[in-house]
This record gives sequence, C-alpha cells and structure tokens, in this order.
Amino acid sequence: MTEVSIERLTKTFGSARAVDGISIRIADGEFISLLGPSGCGKTTTLKMIAGFEEASEGAIRFDGKDVVNVPAEKRDIGMVFQNYALFPHMTVDQNLAFGLEMRKIAKPEILNRIAKVLDMVQLGGYSDRYPNQLSGGQQQRVALARALVIEPKILLLDEPLANLDAKLREEMRVFIRDLQRRVGITTVYVTHDQAEAMTMSDRVVVMFGGRIAQIGAPSDIYERPENLEVAQFVGQVNLVKGTVTGAAGPGKSRVASVFGEVAVDSRTDHAPGIAVTLSLRPEAIELKPAGRGRAQGKVTARYYSGSIIDYRIALDSGETLHVQTFPNTRIAEGDRVSVHAPADGFWLLGAAK
Amino acid sequence: MKRPVLTLYCLLVYAFLLAPILVVVGASFNAGNFLTFPPQGLSLRWYVTFFHNDVFMRAIRTSLWVAAVATVISGTIGTMAALYYVQHAGRWKEAVRIAMLAPLLLPEVLTAIALLFFVYAIGIGTTTMIGMIAGHVLITLPFVFINVSASLESFDPSWDMAARSLGAGRLARFRRIMLPLIKPGVIGGALFAFIISFDTFTISFMLKGIGTSTLPIQLFDYLRTNFTPEAAAVSTVSILLTLVGVIVSEKVLGLRIHRF
Repeated sequence: MTEVSIERLTKTFGSARAVDGISIRIADGEFISLLGPSGCGKTTTLKMIAGFEEASEGAIRFDGKDVVNVPAEKRDIGMVFQNYALFPHMTVDQNLAFGLEMRKIAKPEILNRIAKVLDMVQLGGYSDRYPNQLSGGQQQRVALARALVIEPKILLLDEPLANLDAKLREEMRVFIRDLQRRVGITTVYVTHDQAEAMTMSDRVVVMFGGRIAQIGAPSDIYERPENLEVAQFVGQVNLVKGTVTGAAGPGKSRVASVFGEVAVDSRTDHAPGIAVTLSLRPEAIELKPAGRGRAQGKVTARYYSGSIIDYRIALDSGETLHVQTFPNTRIAEGDRVSVHAPADGFWLLGAAK
Repeated sequence: MKRPVLTLYCLLVYAFLLAPILVVVGASFNAGNFLTFPPQGLSLRWYVTFFHNDVFMRAIRTSLWVAAVATVISGTIGTMAALYYVQHAGRWKEAVRIAMLAPLLLPEVLTAIALLFFVYAIGIGTTTMIGMIAGHVLITLPFVFINVSASLESFDPSWDMAARSLGAGRLARFRRIMLPLIKPGVIGGALFAFIISFDTFTISFMLKGIGTSTLPIQLFDYLRTNFTPEAAAVSTVSILLTLVGVIVSEKVLGLRIHRF
C-alpha cells in the first residue's frame, strides 16, 4: 500500500496563499482528517493530492515518488466527492465499471470485482439502478464503491457526509471507518465537522488560514490543544484566568485561579508570577448544591437535550461558565450552586494575552 | 375547468397559432382549380401534380441536402463554440456570447447582402452552393450555441473530475461522460438548425446559384404566376417533413432529458 508525504506544499492564488507551506507524513493505511473552517485550505490541499489543483511549491510523494507533475488521471487515486458525482446517465454497474474499463481490465474480471465491491458496501441487487433511483446514503456508498473498486493507492474524501441527514451521517461515519480498516487503504478525509474528524481518524490535522495549527491523535487535539483557536474549534471550552505559582513536576505547573490552586498539564514550562489562560472542558465540571467549595455561582440557563444537560453558570467572581452534565442532575434555573473542577480537567493553553 | 378565463385565453393563443396551418392543410385537399378555403370538394389531385412536378421535387431535394449539410457544420461549430464559451472563455465570456448571437440580432436581409458582397469579393460567387450553405450555417449557429451552452451550464464539473480520478483521459471523458450528458442540447440545437435552414427564404434567395432553388424559393416563384392548391400541397408536405424530423429524432436519438 502507500505512504504519502507532503512537503512544504503551497498553493497561491494571485497574492493569496490558500495553502502555506504545509508538511504531513501519512503512514501506510492511516486515516488522516484535514479539519478546519471553510477557507482554511483543506479542500485545496486535497485537490492538490488528487491532482485537480497544481501545487505552486513543494512536493507530494506517494511511496517516495513525487507526483506533482503527474496528471490526476494517472495518479491512481480514488476520490469521493461531496455531491457524490455519480454519472447520472449510467447505472450503478456502469458507474463502477468505468474506472476498470479505463484500466483495460477484462470483462469477466470487471464483473467479478463489481460484485465483490457491491457486496462490501451492502448494495448487492442495486446493479441496474440509476443514481437518481437511489437514496442519498445509497448514492454515497456507490460513490465509495466506485472509488475503491479500482484499488487505488490512496482514498480521498471531500466532505462526503455533508449532504446527509444527522442520523445517516453517524451511521456512515462508522461504515466508512470500518470499511477503510478492512481494506487497509491510506485515506485523507476533508471535513469541517470536528466530531466527524475525531471519531473516524487515526490522526487529525487542524488547519487555519492555510497553515497547520496542530497534528495529532483525536484525544491529543481535544485534551492538549496547541492554542486557543484549536481548543475552541474542536469543542466547547471555558477559559479560566490564572497565575503560575510554581512548577509541579515535568510538564505540570501550579496555577492559582478562582478554582483554587491546582497542578495543570502544559506543553511548556512557565515562570512563577506569569498570567496564563487555562481551558476547562464543560463536561469536566461538576455541579453541587451551594455550600462548600471555592467557586460559587448561580444557574442562569438550563438546556435539556436528552443525553446531556447544558448549564450556564454565572460565578460570583464574575466569570460565566458553560457546564455539561448527565441528565439526572436535579439542578434548576436560578439555583445557587458550587462548581467543582478536578485538576485533570484543566489544560494550560499559554500565557494570557 | 377551474380557470375558465385562462383556459379560454390558451385556446385563443392556440387557435391564433394553428389556424393558418389548418387553412393551408385544408386548402391542399381542394378539388377545384384555385387556392380557396374552405376547399371546393375533396381530392388528392394537387398532391399527385406536386409529386410529378420535377421542379418542386428538385427543390425539395436541394432543401433537404442544404439543411443536412448546414446542420452538420453548424452543429459541430456551435457545440465547440459552446464548449469554449462555458469552460474556457473566462473574461471573454460575454464577448463570445454576443458574437455567437449576432446573426440572430441582425436583420437576416443585412446578413444576406453582406454575405453576397463577401462571396463575390473573395471570388467564390454564387456558381457553387458554398455561399448559400455558409449563410445557412451562419443563421443556424446561434440556435445550436444556445441549446448546447444551456445543457453545458447544467453539466456538473465534478463529473469530469470523478472521471479523471477514475483514470479517464481527455477523449474518454468527452466521449463517455460529457457528450452523452449534453446530447439533448446538441440534438435539440441541431433540430432547430435543420428546421430553420429548411425554412429560410431571405438567405437562400440572395445566395442561391442558378438552378439551385430551395423549396421556399420555388414556392415563391410558383405563387407569382400560379394560384393553384398545389402551393398548399407543397406547404403541407413541408410541414409534414418537419414534423416527421422532430418525431424521428425524439424517438431514435433520444431528445428527452436523461434521468437525473
């Protein structure tokens, strides 16, 4: 299979740098997501890997061989598009056969491989349907099958779930991930949905403004975000002001805040006395009836959504907190509460600006 | 009939459009010697006369031949122009469009006179049919262009990208993906071109050579000296030919839009 190496890849449109010198090494069989807001350069990067956009600078290597000058039709990639891009004048079978015919594969072998791939995407019996006779989810699976049946070096997916409804989207996440594992194909997945990127990927590449903000495992990105932007993009986060009071072992600092003095994980060491920003995920916080505890406050809003309850808390010290709890919490709007946050719920983002 | 006013209005529009045709068709079955409506007795005698009239038969053959040649040329050039216009024209897009539609905007007689001067200036003259065919191509080109570019506008560029990712080169993509998907536009445009070429008078009148009269010109010549129902029979046959052309293309070539 294939290892992909992207080196100082750049794409300029006029004077704008859509992709600005990014480097990523993708291991054989790895599932990588490019995650970021629209306009961050993730789709342009994918198009450069596919060969639909010319790279302005840098290299893209498949197994060490630079493919920058290889046209898309010779790169041996499988691609799934946001709108599926199934050929409307061809049946499912004809759509799947197209790539194999281009490779001059013999008819019996084509039929054989189509049958196999249809089975894999659980669409046996749909051979003679036209794309418009299929549901969105089925079209999605045909698109996936069409990309995989040619047994490409790498699989590229451009926001493939964006047009599906929420429930189907979650099913397809699991489906695509399982399929990718079974086939063992190196995969690059573009999305702006952080939950999608987290659940599916081995590693996530967070991009802002054409540059990479952070590369890491989903848990790394979520629990140890590189900076404030990343922390806010991959989930909801409370920002807590604090002051460093001393070191607390390797990669830990003692920080005093409204929640008291706690040992907080951090990527770099900070000198005592420095003002820092801590992140505190809403689900790490525990609410208890008012009384003991340092941080006291009042519930200003409560949003019930089935699996969790969202609270907004106004602390007596002036901050507002966003808290998520299990739905069995019996705390109502207007109640006074004490707010508890364990030390491992915090992460030191960096010096306060 | 929930909306009587609208229904009445539609019926009136149809009557306005179809009544003259019905009169001509009716008059063609005349048994009498003069072009009158309602017909004086029913007979097919003027059809027999027409089919035995060598001059008319030659004119019909000329018309069909000129229309076929003009349609093929116009269809090819118009499709290529539409492809350029939609995919590559960039900032020249509007200029290309106006240039392509110009024959439609100019009075046909001006185009005809200009072309007549031109063919004599470059020494071709009207001894061959080249000038006339060029004229037919010119006036039918906008119809091919409009139809094909409309179907190209609804061509999703990601189909082309998908085909590329599957390993299809330029030619394979055009033949297997684009052409089948824009086919309704190409056939529709070609059909328009054929009918308009078959029907046009001014261009043919100015640019025809000796002995190369098309049907409309022959009919005009005939009506200057004769006023028999044979003229109506000629018209009816020409209407029928057009109708058959449309139906056959729809059934055989698949004018209907693909299943999207």
